[in-house]
Amino acid sequence: MNMPIRKTFAVLLASAGLAAMVSAAPAWAVTPADTLVEGFAFDDIISVDPGEAFELSTAEITGNTYNMLVRINPENTAEVVNELAESWSVSDDKLTYTFKLKPGLKFASGNPITAEDVAFSMERAVKLDKSPAFLLTQFGLTGDNVTEKAKAVDPLTFTLTVDKPYAPSFVLNVLTATVASVVDKKLVMSKAQPVTPSEKYKYDTDFGNGFLKTGYAGSGPYKIMAWKANEAVVLEANPNYFGEKPKLKRVIYRYMKESSSQRLALEAGDIDVARNLEPGDMEAVSKKPGMVITSAPKGTVYFISFNQKNKDLAKPEVREALKYLIDYDAIGATLIKGVGTIHQTFLPAGQLGAIDDKPYKLDVAKAKELLAKAGLKDGFSVTFDVRNIQPVTGIAESFQQTAAQAGIKVEIIPGDGKQTLTKFRSRKHDLYIGQWGSDYFDPNSNAETFTSNTDNSDDSKNKTLAWRNAWDVPALTKETQSALLEPDAAKRAAIYQDLQKKVLADGPFAIIYQQVEIAGHSEKLKNFKLGPSFDTNFVYTISKD
Amino acid sequence: MTTGLDTPVLSRREWLLSDRPASRLQAQLGRAYMVWLRFSANRLALAGLGIILMLIVVALFADVLAPHNPVQGDLRNARLLPPGTGSYLLGTDDQGRDILSRLIHGSRLTLAVVVLVAIIAAPLGLLVGTVSGYAGGWVDAVLMRITDIFLAFPKLVLALAFVAALGPGIENAILAIALTSWPPYARMARAETLGVRHSDYIAAVRLMGASPFRIVLRHVMPMCLSSLIVRVTLDMAGIILTAAGLGFLGLGAQPPLPEWGAMIASGRRFILDQWWVATMPGIAILIVSLGFNLLGDGLRDALDPREAGQ
Repeated sequence: MNMPIRKTFAVLLASAGLAAMVSAAPAWAVTPADTLVEGFAFDDIISVDPGEAFELSTAEITGNTYNMLVRINPENTAEVVNELAESWSVSDDKLTYTFKLKPGLKFASGNPITAEDVAFSMERAVKLDKSPAFLLTQFGLTGDNVTEKAKAVDPLTFTLTVDKPYAPSFVLNVLTATVASVVDKKLVMSKAQPVTPSEKYKYDTDFGNGFLKTGYAGSGPYKIMAWKANEAVVLEANPNYFGEKPKLKRVIYRYMKESSSQRLALEAGDIDVARNLEPGDMEAVSKKPGMVITSAPKGTVYFISFNQKNKDLAKPEVREALKYLIDYDAIGATLIKGVGTIHQTFLPAGQLGAIDDKPYKLDVAKAKELLAKAGLKDGFSVTFDVRNIQPVTGIAESFQQTAAQAGIKVEIIPGDGKQTLTKFRSRKHDLYIGQWGSDYFDPNSNAETFTSNTDNSDDSKNKTLAWRNAWDVPALTKETQSALLEPDAAKRAAIYQDLQKKVLADGPFAIIYQQVEIAGHSEKLKNFKLGPSFDTNFVYTISKD
Repeated sequence: MTTGLDTPVLSRREWLLSDRPASRLQAQLGRAYMVWLRFSANRLALAGLGIILMLIVVALFADVLAPHNPVQGDLRNARLLPPGTGSYLLGTDDQGRDILSRLIHGSRLTLAVVVLVAIIAAPLGLLVGTVSGYAGGWVDAVLMRITDIFLAFPKLVLALAFVAALGPGIENAILAIALTSWPPYARMARAETLGVRHSDYIAAVRLMGASPFRIVLRHVMPMCLSSLIVRVTLDMAGIILTAAGLGFLGLGAQPPLPEWGAMIASGRRFILDQWWVATMPGIAILIVSLGFNLLGDGLRDALDPREAGQ
């Protein structure tokens, strides 16, 4: 009876071996020729409704699938170009903006794009009042007046009335944010769910928010076919798209969190693009034959901020000394190599009025001198709240070492993003390292947060970075507000330049670097580009060999 | 020079091994010598002892032994250098710090953790266990149920909860580990106490009017000591691993302290290309844990009264 069992076992073994070979085979598979597969950590997506989404990964999806009246020119970010709009004009009192739409455009559903749809998109964004709604409500739009202020005059004419004579460049820049994406009113309202009005939400419909959370009603080059949280986002070419047709039929974003797993998948050919490579993995990928790295500067700056409630940090000499205690050059050459460029002013390069002054470098002697002037010859102790994530942890440790050379004892308090941010927002930190990404492509987004503090009390409604560090600067606040109403672009730029110089010299912020987004991909991809903002990371230009 | 004594001269070994000790000191030394003989017959145990002695020496002379500053690195020129580059024998980490120097200074932290946890947890467990075992009744019930509660949680999970509540840091990590490691000692001490509480010598001491406090302290606790020492030594590897685990999770020692677990955590990002950053502290933890385990095993064999010749 021994033999048959052995035979069976041998057969089993052989089939197991075969099965292993068959299941191993897909590892060599290349991605389909008409499909782009990207490895992407998009765990931040909570909804793909353009009226609700305010996350970086979603911006990329929205940018590729929806159209807006106007859009930032990715080649020259100081310029706004027409998309759905054929032309626009502003009234002499600078309160009314009139947009003429291009005729004959269609949504992916086949419905025509009209001014009605544009007005409806604004109305629902304001009434839903989700995270990005402030972009529109800052112009004085409210749930009660939005139908009056943003309306369709005729099928191809849309007018927007704002409450103050803002600089037209500011208004147009804000309208390039994804919240102003135009949705298909007919389709959306047919899917809208009735809601019982309440104190908080006064309307009897959800304006299709439930449907659009995972659905699609746009007109962009690609359609959203599916979004499965932490699994995949699937886009498919939109046959009704009015512009240049996308080269690839399908784009699949595969959820991959770890840099190393993206690198391995890229090297194995399982994905075409790896989007979240860390510096070490990026360097390894760039050395592989047939692989290239594409990069683009983004509008996010990283900074260390000093809470002015701390009496040591409130001394101007100490603020300046700390800026001399960061080893910018070494950090730029190592910790953020490839993912950031050293940048010391609060406006990221590419925005109106941005200057690229870099007066600070590591200078321990100078810092000691300044500390002595402040009466702190022997240094002092200070705590430092740091989020447990690279590269900020590495930068914080490097700063800890260089600050120690001037006698400043830095105690790092690590925490996850929520912990450190909560402490920062309630002004209980000493030092804090964080980043600020522009909400829209206009200098006001950063200028407001770094220089404007309308009310320095603890229970203030204003939560700008200046407030979070208790930096009470009425003069700068006024200057920032004046820039908003300055119609002349050159003069406006001059105000922002002045503001940047003042923050650079005296502000409680040591701005360290501007983020550079990188992606590793095979040379076979043609026209792979990363845009200056997350909603301009277009995939429709990409083709494969 | 002769001493002028004419009594037959015993060699030191014979004096120690004499079965008719003339003084209490001689008896105690003789017993210790027996233990040492049994211990030293075990080569592995000696190796363990050697490792631990070396750890102590390295920790004591860290300032002299370390070739570089453990917390000041050269970020610009010496980042992630492989082992053997220039004066960096074990390579450098992502802040350009010498890994060997960090390991040498980290031995102080490791030793401090082990010693402090042992100093806190062992007496606590001993006290709870002996009192519980000697007193019996409701005291026993209450103390043992508290012990049960602590034993019901996995050690690392409980330590994590304590550190999360107390805030990250090496002192809190030590406290948390100590708070979670006393229950087994209490259990063991209670079992030993139950074994001796009805023996004749305890009854004799009680008849002489000794207070329960004195009995527990002077006559019960010493009986539990040898098994406690063995147990603590064997647990030290576990303590090191728990401390390293907390450091790895960012809850133990904080930067720039060169704690081995935290060093592994920061080296994990480079495991594909710069393997040495995480591997070197891992090897250090392995060697020291192994040392404590070998030492503990040897001590158990040597101290076990059932195998004792006397």
